[in-house]
Amino acid sequence: MTSLSRRSLLRGSVAAAGLLSLAACRSAAESGDGAAASAGPRRGGTLSLATTIDYTPSLLFAQSANTLVQRLVFNTLTRYDDQLRPQPELATSWQPAADGRSITFKLRDDVLFHDGRKFTADDVIFAVKNLQNPVRSAQLRSTAATVTEFRKNGDHELTLELAHPVSNLFDLFEFMIITDSATVEDAVAGKQLIGTGPFRYGKRTPGSSITFTRNEKYWNPGRPYLDGVEIRVIPQADSLVSSLKTGQSHLSYHVPGKDLAGLKGSGQFQLRPYDTGSGAYYIGVNVSAEQVKDKRVRQAISWAVDRERLVQQALGGYGLPSAAPWPKSSPAYSDANATHYRHDPAKARELLKEAGVSGLTLPFAHSNTPDGTAIAQILQHDLKQVGIETELQPTDSPTMQKQLISQTMPALWTLSHGFAQLHPATLAVSAYPFNEAKNSSHFSSPGYTDIVQRAWKRPDSDSAEAKALYQQVTDTLLDEAFVIDLAIGGQIEVAGTKVHGATLNKFNYLNLDDAYLTV
Amino acid sequence: MTTLAVGLRRRRLLPAGLHTLRGTAGVLLVGVVVLAGLLAPLLTDADPLAQSGLALAGPSGAHPFGTDDLGRDLFSRVLHGIRTDLLISVTAVPVGAVLGCALALLAATSRGADVAVQRVFDLLLAFPGLILALAVTAVLGPGRWPVVIVIALAEIPGFGRQLRAGILVQREREYALAARVGGASRARVLLRHVLPNAVDPLIVQGAIAFSLAVFIEGAMSFLGVGVRPPEPSLGGILSQSMAYLSTHPGYAAAPLLVVTALVLGLTLIAEALNEGIRR
Repeated sequence: MTSLSRRSLLRGSVAAAGLLSLAACRSAAESGDGAAASAGPRRGGTLSLATTIDYTPSLLFAQSANTLVQRLVFNTLTRYDDQLRPQPELATSWQPAADGRSITFKLRDDVLFHDGRKFTADDVIFAVKNLQNPVRSAQLRSTAATVTEFRKNGDHELTLELAHPVSNLFDLFEFMIITDSATVEDAVAGKQLIGTGPFRYGKRTPGSSITFTRNEKYWNPGRPYLDGVEIRVIPQADSLVSSLKTGQSHLSYHVPGKDLAGLKGSGQFQLRPYDTGSGAYYIGVNVSAEQVKDKRVRQAISWAVDRERLVQQALGGYGLPSAAPWPKSSPAYSDANATHYRHDPAKARELLKEAGVSGLTLPFAHSNTPDGTAIAQILQHDLKQVGIETELQPTDSPTMQKQLISQTMPALWTLSHGFAQLHPATLAVSAYPFNEAKNSSHFSSPGYTDIVQRAWKRPDSDSAEAKALYQQVTDTLLDEAFVIDLAIGGQIEVAGTKVHGATLNKFNYLNLDDAYLTV
Repeated sequence: MTTLAVGLRRRRLLPAGLHTLRGTAGVLLVGVVVLAGLLAPLLTDADPLAQSGLALAGPSGAHPFGTDDLGRDLFSRVLHGIRTDLLISVTAVPVGAVLGCALALLAATSRGADVAVQRVFDLLLAFPGLILALAVTAVLGPGRWPVVIVIALAEIPGFGRQLRAGILVQREREYALAARVGGASRARVLLRHVLPNAVDPLIVQGAIAFSLAVFIEGAMSFLGVGVRPPEPSLGGILSQSMAYLSTHPGYAAAPLLVVTALVLGLTLIAEALNEGIRR
């Protein structure tokens, strides 16, 4: 008797659960309908965004895999438009000195931090000093470190004195978030985030979600339109895609290229590529290894790889085959640079012969994720076709990062790098594989150092002369081939048809000032 | 009841266990998979490592199972993957079995040794298989040999415990007692009289061990710490196919079916043998 009643209870609860999930499906389906019903921005609603990688509080001031939080809670002094011209944000105007050794900012005087305190020039001084602190591991530290002196003229005017002119100065102001000095330690510990941005930091459940609520006293009147934002952390790409398909999430920047094809055909989503890309895939060469000392061997490797096939097979077709590190957003980008090396096994063999190299076997480290393994196998196969044998060394990501920084990589490795999306000097003085003074490849040449320093230490960034210098940097990189770029990964925004106005800045900070949801 | 009589009965009963429906099904499943693996070079002349521009193609005359994400022939990769798995299992399981049995025999020599060996088994059993795998590869790096070592280590306690239990039962039986009274040395009683009668369960354990080996190889390659790419292994193919599960489910189907057939077949054989022994 008891067993019978237990069974019926079970049966009842299963039925109830089924009914509930049916109801949930229906509400999701209903909310998906009538997408383009109303035109124009609408106040209200909570935007739900899906990402595969959780936000790491200790990397708040560094470029990391998840930089969605930065521009939601904080502001920057300026922001770039698509032609990399700085536009006002917390700074209303600026005046660089003619010799490029100082710059004077006028700041907004109507900005409040989330705790009610007024934003002043002191906050900018703190932000620069904060990035100069090595503990913050900010990649643009070398640029921040050129600021030697601060001169305040009242609370809302500030002059920064520089040790020497730098061409990537506004990359710094695109990168540098203005934080509250009193709570900065809490911020990197993940306890609270106090900024001036459009949203207040709500609740964070590590590995699961972060919520944000509207900043009612935002300096930009009427903004943001949204009542709140939720970032959901969904590590499995499959689950992330189904969360988008069911309407649980509205927006994602982390859908792998392989899964985009399925979303593109459905008509449920808008796919928008960003010129900045999601980093560049490359083969790094440790030039201190005897077999690859000769640059002709490195050039042969560059001729041997089939970049088109790599993009098709490993990146699902979403990427730009390129022999140079620059995405299309960079002033150094050109088609000629991107196609400098094409797939030409015959030429590769010829160069190897010229260098007198045969029977080469090289260790080749790669990340042991499925994607990293696929890329490494493609490259291994291509290199084998020209007579270069490689021994794959699957390595976990933290170990690779450590080897990259400590310069203990084997003869070949493959990874991806960022920091090429802006002014070329930012890459050459900030990124580990490219740093002219100390890079993972053990490459150094007076010529490279000289050209990088000249491209960096100049007051302007877009003149013909500057561009000629950038081209010289590119030429050196292509000729020396100590970093062999393969492809720029696609940065694709996948947005449900209800979502409008979301954008990323050049460092992939999510800007939702003008974003809204239609009913 | 002599050693001989017991031995004879065992020899008669064991194949009988496999004559059941369950046993036959198991032998068939494993037989087909093993043959496919052994005859791989004859069944296909496609190079399992040769890549092409034709990625994720469906089944066709040239590629019976289609191609993988890098344009390699999936049929050839699966067949060669079976070979890799078989080679690993055939090396690792006997090593684990011999080590486990040796430890069990050592434990039978004295009470102190028994306690020590039991704690070693406890230690090995307390390590979840994957943690053990990660620990071993953290030291040795990924590759074929670490997989063999992990499987061998994981198999030791299973064989050891089974044999120890058998020895404990058998050495109190009359024939063992008679041998001892007859003046046989301790080692002789153990090796000559007790051991042959205690190995029955080990044959069942052997079948289970092979399925565990397939399982561990799959798990390790799936996590990227197993057989080094580009060499095919069943777990490695599965791992690469996961990203395409929603768009190209056929890619994962072939390695999945093979792993399932292998593990199911071995389990069926183990069960059939077990029944045969108990009858």
